[in-house]
Amino acid sequence: MPLAAYLLVSLVLFVLGGLGLMIRRNPLVLLMCVELMWNGANLAFVALGRGLEAMSAHVFAFVVITVAAAEVAIGLAILVLVFRGKARQDVDEVNLLGERG
Amino acid sequence: MVSSSYLPGILLWPLAGAVVTALGRHRFSQRSLAAIGSGTVGLAFLHGVAAWLQLRSLDPGQVLVFPLWRWAAGGELAVTLGLWGDPLALWWALIVTGVGFLIHLYSAGYMAGDPSFGRYYAQLNYFVFAMSLLVLSDGLVGLILGWGNVGLASYLLIGFWHRRDAARRAATKAFLITQAGEVAMLLGLFWAAAAFGELHYPALFARLEGVPQGTLTAISLLLLVGAVAKSAQLPLHTWLPDAMQGPTPVSALIHAATMVTAGVFLVCRMWPLFSASGVALQVVAWVGGLTALFGAVVAGAQWDIKRVLAYSTMSQVGYMLLGAGVGAFAASAFHFFTHAFFKALLFLAAGVVIHRLDGEQDLRRMGGLRRSMPFTFASFLVGLGALAGLPPLAGFFSKDEILAATRQAGEPLLWALGVAAAALTAYYSFRLLALAFLGPEGPAVQATSSRRAGGEGPWTMLLPVGLLLVGAVAAGWLAIPGVTAVPAQVLEGTFRGQAFHPEGDSLTLTASLLAALVGMGVALARFRPSRPVPQVGPPGLAEAGFELDRLFRHLTVEPGLALARVVAWVDRRGVDGLVNGLAWLTGQAGERVRRLHRGQVRRSVVTLLGGAALLLVGSLWLLSSF
Repeated sequence: MPLAAYLLVSLVLFVLGGLGLMIRRNPLVLLMCVELMWNGANLAFVALGRGLEAMSAHVFAFVVITVAAAEVAIGLAILVLVFRGKARQDVDEVNLLGERG
Repeated sequence: MVSSSYLPGILLWPLAGAVVTALGRHRFSQRSLAAIGSGTVGLAFLHGVAAWLQLRSLDPGQVLVFPLWRWAAGGELAVTLGLWGDPLALWWALIVTGVGFLIHLYSAGYMAGDPSFGRYYAQLNYFVFAMSLLVLSDGLVGLILGWGNVGLASYLLIGFWHRRDAARRAATKAFLITQAGEVAMLLGLFWAAAAFGELHYPALFARLEGVPQGTLTAISLLLLVGAVAKSAQLPLHTWLPDAMQGPTPVSALIHAATMVTAGVFLVCRMWPLFSASGVALQVVAWVGGLTALFGAVVAGAQWDIKRVLAYSTMSQVGYMLLGAGVGAFAASAFHFFTHAFFKALLFLAAGVVIHRLDGEQDLRRMGGLRRSMPFTFASFLVGLGALAGLPPLAGFFSKDEILAATRQAGEPLLWALGVAAAALTAYYSFRLLALAFLGPEGPAVQATSSRRAGGEGPWTMLLPVGLLLVGAVAAGWLAIPGVTAVPAQVLEGTFRGQAFHPEGDSLTLTASLLAALVGMGVALARFRPSRPVPQVGPPGLAEAGFELDRLFRHLTVEPGLALARVVAWVDRRGVDGLVNGLAWLTGQAGERVRRLHRGQVRRSVVTLLGGAALLLVGSLWLLSSF
């Protein structure tokens, strides 16, 4: 299979994740969308690493996996804390950083 | 030159008194504050007497000195500070501390119960310190240091009752006018430093030779501007009548007996410079002569008892400058001596009257005080007699000496001015006496007579008045023409035979005596006891001081205010406008940006992704264009 096919799949994954982030309101789904975007990016790294024989791309892929793991840990912790205070699972109501009123 | 350890005592005691009374003004009782304040000035006077005796025990021509420290050195000029006790300086210092002591004592009674009693004594002591520094310094720099400090003390004391609007205004006015004179003096000082390279008196006087006449005259005239402002001479006199807003003892000490004579002291101190210029001395004489007449005319039209005395002071200081201007420096210093006694006496006695009448100062509401206040009446009689120049009281001899010197120096016009002023002096003196003490009791007297409980005042007020009374009678006997000539002899050490000593002059004697009698007669006839009570009306030309205040208002104050308004407009619209405009722009920009930050996650995501997409497109476009 040509490199372009891998990159196309990776692009589809990334755009799906981004659209999900913009459209969905459930924070858990949002977190999964972020994962989708990570995966899209990671697929592009690995495909390009293989296609261009670039070792550094593989290293980046491992870094991304590590960072994504850390992000999920922190993100889930934040979500748990937010759900303790709020009954509804809607990110639109979590706007503590916005101005009042 | 002999070092004397008495000289610094004259300065340091009042300074110590000022510090102690200022720091302890809430801790000590009024009694002890008064004791500290008066006692330190008394000690200063004793030091002055000791220094005087030491000077007398030396060979003639010797002076006392006390070097202090080297203040600054730059280029060829080195400024050293020190004290200089020659006869002229000690003459002034003795009167400042002596009369000052009596007035401090008097203040204990006059100011009793004032909530700011300690502040009053601290400022009064500070004044005595500053004035002593002025007269005792050994060079122009020390003199100007003292001069400025005296101005500050005067400002503080005129505005002593600072809750009164008029007092604040008067204080500011006095300070501004005398400071304007001080600027001229400073210019004179700089010029003197450039021309002579020395500011220490004897060194400066030794270098007068070889400096162009024009330079000497210019320096003298610049110094004279300062003297005119400080001594309330034409045309910079307008602050003095307003300065009567201060407590009456302050008027007596500062604005009658001592500070206003600083200008006379300056001319006498710098006599070699003024004499070498010649022209400057002429100007001094004319300023003095005209002021003597002007002050006397305006004094004759005033209704406020203290303003009469203020204009009278201006006129008498004019006499002193007239004397100095014709070269009779000793006569000038002698008139300062007698004037300090009788003018302080008059002010303190006026203070007794004002105290008795609960602050009433309008002569039209007084009258008939002779019966209830015999001692004060006697004080006024002697003081006004001395002022008017009636023999054998103090003013007669000193004024006569000045007038005789004017005639013999070949100035018939100035002499005529002086005699005319003498007649007017007698007129306003006895006008005041008739209005306040003769005739039926005035409304202010009747209103307060019921509450008067025996005596005319506390002893602290009456004792100084009594002592000054003796001085006003006897001070003139130091220089009876043809009999005694004490001032001329003792001041010889300063003037070294260069001062002009007039002969006994029977024409002047007759003329001034006649003038005084005519003035007195006219006053007593116009304000005889059966006169109609003068009504309060719009002020006449003379009562308003010939509208010089208004002239100055139009010449300096109004243009100043107009300029300030223009500057304020530019500041508000221009400078503030720029700053406010920038702030408005930033605010508006912030208002726009604010909409991006609502704290909603999904909105942030849109922004984030949009930004990333833009960056991507931008970088691709950049890459493709290379």
